[in-house]
Amino acid sequence: MLTYVIRRVLSTIPLLIGAMYLVHVGVSATSDPLASLRLCLPRCQEGYDRVVEIYELDRSIWVRPFAWFGDAIRGDFGKSEALGEPVGNVLLERGLNTAMMAIPAFLISALLAVLLSVYSARRQYSKTDYVLTGFSFLGLALPTFFVGLVLQVFWGVWFPQWTGMKPFYTGSMRTGSVLELLQSITLPVLTLVIVSVAAESRFGRANMLEIISSDYVRTARAKGLSESRVIWKHALRNAMIPLVTLWALDFAALLSGSVITETIFSWPGLGPAFVIALTKPDLDLVMGITILAAVIAIVFNLIADLLYGWLDPRIRFD
Amino acid sequence: MTDLVDVNSREGLGAESLSFGRLALRRFVRHRPAIVSLFLLILMVLAFFFAGRLSNFAFDAVDVTKRLENPSREHPFGTDEIGRDLFVRTMLGGQYSVRVALQVSLLATAIGTILGAIAGYFGRWVDTAISQMINLILIVPALIVLAVFAQRFGGSPVGLALVLSGLLWTRIARVVRGVVMQYKEQEFVLAAKAVGAKPGRIVARHILPNVVGSVLVEITLLLGTAIVLESTLSFLGLGVQPPIPTLGNLIQQSKGAIDDAPLRVLLPGFFVVFFVLFINFLGDGLRDALDPRSKRQ
Repeated sequence: MLTYVIRRVLSTIPLLIGAMYLVHVGVSATSDPLASLRLCLPRCQEGYDRVVEIYELDRSIWVRPFAWFGDAIRGDFGKSEALGEPVGNVLLERGLNTAMMAIPAFLISALLAVLLSVYSARRQYSKTDYVLTGFSFLGLALPTFFVGLVLQVFWGVWFPQWTGMKPFYTGSMRTGSVLELLQSITLPVLTLVIVSVAAESRFGRANMLEIISSDYVRTARAKGLSESRVIWKHALRNAMIPLVTLWALDFAALLSGSVITETIFSWPGLGPAFVIALTKPDLDLVMGITILAAVIAIVFNLIADLLYGWLDPRIRFD
Repeated sequence: MTDLVDVNSREGLGAESLSFGRLALRRFVRHRPAIVSLFLLILMVLAFFFAGRLSNFAFDAVDVTKRLENPSREHPFGTDEIGRDLFVRTMLGGQYSVRVALQVSLLATAIGTILGAIAGYFGRWVDTAISQMINLILIVPALIVLAVFAQRFGGSPVGLALVLSGLLWTRIARVVRGVVMQYKEQEFVLAAKAVGAKPGRIVARHILPNVVGSVLVEITLLLGTAIVLESTLSFLGLGVQPPIPTLGNLIQQSKGAIDDAPLRVLLPGFFVVFFVLFINFLGDGLRDALDPRSKRQ
């Protein structure tokens, strides 16, 4: 298994380098950090030269990424011009904020998905099942920004109008007290949960249905095990194996910054930082966030595959 | 003399034998959510393309005396900050969004089918190269790559469609590659080779007809994905730029006024949601209808 891990990691490195190279060239080719400086040229020659030096604008864009690679290998990801801090610090600080939102969102949606899929599968074609299926279809069609906006409108405008109370904050993160943190984290987390639980519970229901009608579950029932033991211990374990991949991908996506949710609720995580970096443009920060997101995606893909093999011993790595 | 066998109950030997296409059509027509969705989808697209002409206002006609008006007979969806009619703008926005989605699904399907077929049929290094290209695109989170390129090239609807297609062809390529690999060793392909058919003909005439079903389903799903990505990028200000309206940038423009006129912000979003919802039902119906093992009659 160790050789499998090593081979997997080694085989993704060239891909990662290729992707980073393309992003670097892509951003360099599509942005001009000198645009504003060029207008005032004779006066701000000094600033102009400084920017040329920082981004090595005197060299071909095909060569520029290599300097970045050289620094990155030594652990230097450059300095974010937009935020005035080293990229490493930005990633750490923003990453923690993102994780603060991503971890609860992931745990809640995973738990909900399990409960809903077991419930729907055991009562297939019941009224509740139909209602849940309807909701999950709707959930699959909801773009994240729409969910965020609806929650914002409801809790920020309509609910206060009706009741005069505003239980949740609809913008900016406040960390004054635990209560304030909860008030500001609830809506973004809820947005992420709504978006991911629909797909997860649909998938979980399908797996659960397949397992419930399998022979070994019938055997478990026939030998007189209690229904709850059959469902929660025998059926659920196998039904959740295919969900692991989906969970790993979802969690990776959440950890690398939910650009939309964080932007809507002004949460100072990686997502808004990326939008700032891109619109500035702040090349080093774009590269830093991209490589972080790519590494997270690769690592969680690998974890998913390993977990898959651990949960289902029939799968062999070779 | 009486018949020993009831003619009507001879299992599988009924009077009419139907081709796969007829059976699929019949299954599709009986899939009620899919048919209703198809009907509503057509209605919606027709509205996007023609409803704007019923109004007396142009999409960019400014009237500062009528700023931020609520819905009325004259302006069914109200007006925006500089008094432009939001009904006309929303319909035109929907039209641009649907156009982008259609272009994306056509282009991505074309690229995906061609590259997938080449990779699957020729195998070896060609397959490795194309598969690695797919992995390269899948390795970096989609929104990041999209944002980088959409910011520069996505300002116009066609540009955004090109950027989205450049990213979304991978799923179809994988599906087509898998099917081509599965069929290329079968006897009918060997027979075609034996009579001297060229690779292009074998793939196009003998193998690809087998993927039409799964590709059709992918195309519908692609339409939904494209419209969501378009509106998301435009919502972040990275997609199609004003003055051209799309469902996404209409939301982005009215976002600032969310406290005063929440419905104005949500309205274009509802169109996105229903479009995707109908598309998903349609895709579901197509999948059931085109699955030869489907038991649904």
